[in-house]
Amino acid sequence: MRQAWKAFSCASILVIGVAGCSGSEPDVSEAQSGDGQDTIELAEFPDRPYWGDTHLHTDNSVDAFGFGTRLGPEAALRFARGEEVTATTGGQTKLARPLDFLVIADHSDGLGATRRLYDAPRWYVKWIIGDETVLRWYDMMHESPEQSTRAIAELITAAAEGNIPEAFADPETANEGTKDIWNTQLSILDRYNEPGVFSAIAGYEWTAMPDGNNLHRVVMFRDGSDRTRQTVPFPGIGTAAPQLWEYMRGYEEETGGRVLAIPHNSNLSNGLMFQTTMEDGSPMTAEYAALRAWAEPVIEATQIKGDSETHPYLSPNDEMAGFGVEGWEIGNLSLSQKTAPSMFAGSYARSGLLRGLTLEKQLGVNPYAFGMIGSTDSHTSLATGDEDNFWGKHTGNEQAYTERAAAEQNLGTREGRFGWHYLAGGYAAAWARGNTRAEIFDAFARREVYATTGPRMSVRVFGGFDFTAKDWDGDWVRAGYTRGVPMGGMLDDQGAAPSFMISALKDPDGANLDRVQVIKGWIDASGEPQERVYDVVWSDMDARRKSGGKLTAVGDTVNREDATYTNSIGAAELRTTWTDPDYKSGQQAFYYVRVLEIPTPRWILFDAVRFGVTLSEDAMADAVAQERAYTSPIWLKPSS
Amino acid sequence: MKLPNWTREPLVHFVALGAVVYVALTWGGSPPDPASRVISVGASETEKIAESWTLTMGRAPTDAELDQAVDAYIREEVLYREALRLGLDESDAIVRRRMVSKMDLSASLAAETAEPTEEMLRAFLEENSELYANHGTERAKVSFDQTFFATERAARAALTRGSDTGEATSLPANIEAIPLREVESRFGRQFALGLGALEPGADWQGPLQSGFGWHLVRLRDRVVQPPDFETLRGVLANDWRSAQIKARKERAYEVLRSAYRIDVDR
Repeated sequence: MRQAWKAFSCASILVIGVAGCSGSEPDVSEAQSGDGQDTIELAEFPDRPYWGDTHLHTDNSVDAFGFGTRLGPEAALRFARGEEVTATTGGQTKLARPLDFLVIADHSDGLGATRRLYDAPRWYVKWIIGDETVLRWYDMMHESPEQSTRAIAELITAAAEGNIPEAFADPETANEGTKDIWNTQLSILDRYNEPGVFSAIAGYEWTAMPDGNNLHRVVMFRDGSDRTRQTVPFPGIGTAAPQLWEYMRGYEEETGGRVLAIPHNSNLSNGLMFQTTMEDGSPMTAEYAALRAWAEPVIEATQIKGDSETHPYLSPNDEMAGFGVEGWEIGNLSLSQKTAPSMFAGSYARSGLLRGLTLEKQLGVNPYAFGMIGSTDSHTSLATGDEDNFWGKHTGNEQAYTERAAAEQNLGTREGRFGWHYLAGGYAAAWARGNTRAEIFDAFARREVYATTGPRMSVRVFGGFDFTAKDWDGDWVRAGYTRGVPMGGMLDDQGAAPSFMISALKDPDGANLDRVQVIKGWIDASGEPQERVYDVVWSDMDARRKSGGKLTAVGDTVNREDATYTNSIGAAELRTTWTDPDYKSGQQAFYYVRVLEIPTPRWILFDAVRFGVTLSEDAMADAVAQERAYTSPIWLKPSS
Repeated sequence: MKLPNWTREPLVHFVALGAVVYVALTWGGSPPDPASRVISVGASETEKIAESWTLTMGRAPTDAELDQAVDAYIREEVLYREALRLGLDESDAIVRRRMVSKMDLSASLAAETAEPTEEMLRAFLEENSELYANHGTERAKVSFDQTFFATERAARAALTRGSDTGEATSLPANIEAIPLREVESRFGRQFALGLGALEPGADWQGPLQSGFGWHLVRLRDRVVQPPDFETLRGVLANDWRSAQIKARKERAYEVLRSAYRIDVDR
């Protein structure tokens, strides 16, 4: 009897893994399963930033499951909507404030494969799959959480080196498994999608990494499940970005839907994310540039695995550059190759935007006219972005592992990255007219989005040619939309310096603001890319005068003993109208806004206080930081 | 080749695969006795190994493959029994945790894909009505005007003067019919709690503190929709499902636990 019961329960597990529930249609309303158009009343203009995470992994991701996560999409959605969830390693957790939208972005390669592998009986792995490496990983996964993490690290290295066992890459099995999990996931998303309250958006991660260089993209859909059921996630192993874009174009043609791709971790691409050439090294064509610009309107500039805005090497005059760079700058994702300084320009957003201007001059099309968002890339099913509620990059460093800040966190087996290098993760803010799948997606498509490293500050930017301080007295939002363009927009040069209305409100439940900066990039008369950071408004403007072109520091109220800070410095709101003092007629340029908070404790300081652990000297030096927001740029184009 | 429709039925997959797995897992015979140091692989065991191979691979194993399978079976058996003998299944916290989570997982799987009927959901709402009592308040829509002051003193002074002119801010002055949770997102938790406690009226009230400073507020309207079944339906289905998962885990545990006598010295 015992044997029979065991056989039956294993059979159930296998069948659910293999057959899923592909037959059943979800019992949800049309409003929930659609794209949300015409389901709610929309504001005339985008009325507030909607907060979300477009990059969350659940136990359907090969690596997340291997790292130990046992929470699936359902738990992920409940958590994002503000409900309490028990983390895999124990401990009740909840977001202080719910999110407005979520994209579950599980790896398309081997979707659900490790979960199926883990649940399969050993004889099946040994005799049916029959691959020694897979069997060894299977055993490691069952041995202990530590061994399981090691097995997945090996798997990632193998993927980076193109050595994935055929059993994992087998297209037929993978396709069937992928389709079942995808369809199940779409049903779950529909159940939690609620126009006006929460948008559960379909997506996945396309995980290409030639030689361990990170070229990953999150693919995000606008549509309801009637359309998204017609596709399956596109594999990253063995494909290149132009093929992904073709797949996306095919999806739109076949279904009439909309889809976009969001590159992330360019900081781990060893210069390959924003190349001046095409993938094969040949000169970029206008066609390629146009396809890329169409497919990738937004990049993820900040997340747990570091920040990709810029590097101090590229921006030596920017004393605020270098946030979230340490540890990540030494090599590519798998650390199979070190990063040389010459590679940085292709790895960071600001230099990518500059390369876009140069390429536009040559080709007539800017392939890198992208906006910016932040996200988590959490592999725990928990979309946590706050420093005081960090649940780890993956289940191997959830809060149960109190020494996680000091632990080595190399994906491969090589050295150089530690737990404290992880950021707590970022969030995406989308200026939309309401909270539906369609409205949120459209904000991304027109780049009216911005990145934060976690805090929810409200940042609004309008560019035009006649904005003055007087505009603040009236309906300045209407003025912004009717006489100018919002972040993400393009301005045609009218022979006069552009002016900008910039408003930054602190996170209502967070830290005060230090300063607001405009970052300008342009091509000078000799064709060279240039960049400059302008401090345009800051707290205590009279007291903090500039000396030698630099603003005096805002101060630091962080108590290292108990991980607290006070809002006795900084400002609740900073706003200004700013006109470019260095405008030259005919100049190609972009302008984006960076908002800095006052210094606050990082997650490692909260860990040190809560768990009584002592941080290393290096970690302690990085235990306090100024969190920030990056807006999408506004471009100034020479009039044709 | 186009397969007939019945081959796509999950139920058919279930039965077919279940049969395969059942046969495959039962060839081992009775569970190993860790005390025994005898591992017998007789003709019948070998035959079962070969049968299982044939069934799953669609061909008979070669002699070499069969030898390998038998060796693997023996190796696993030896190490497994030694592990049991050493008490690793009990003393190793990781093994214990893994086994516990696997038991829990198998109990909850069926509930993840279940679809509740309307009757089930209505019953669920009735049983848990207190959980949804505040649903209406949380989603209450409020309309209000606000005016901003950096300090509490300035706000109080303005209220006393009967002035509604505050300081410059990018926060919206008039808010039309947004849910309280949106108010929290824009003004912070403290402000939303404060606003929830005010009664609608034509007068300026407050000041209320927000993450930005202090506000005088004219709460023009608050509409609370009493929770009804149709608006709650989606939430109910999701909560029902997660309650099912929890209940199944508990029920499975109760069944197992009832077979034990448990003595605790307290």
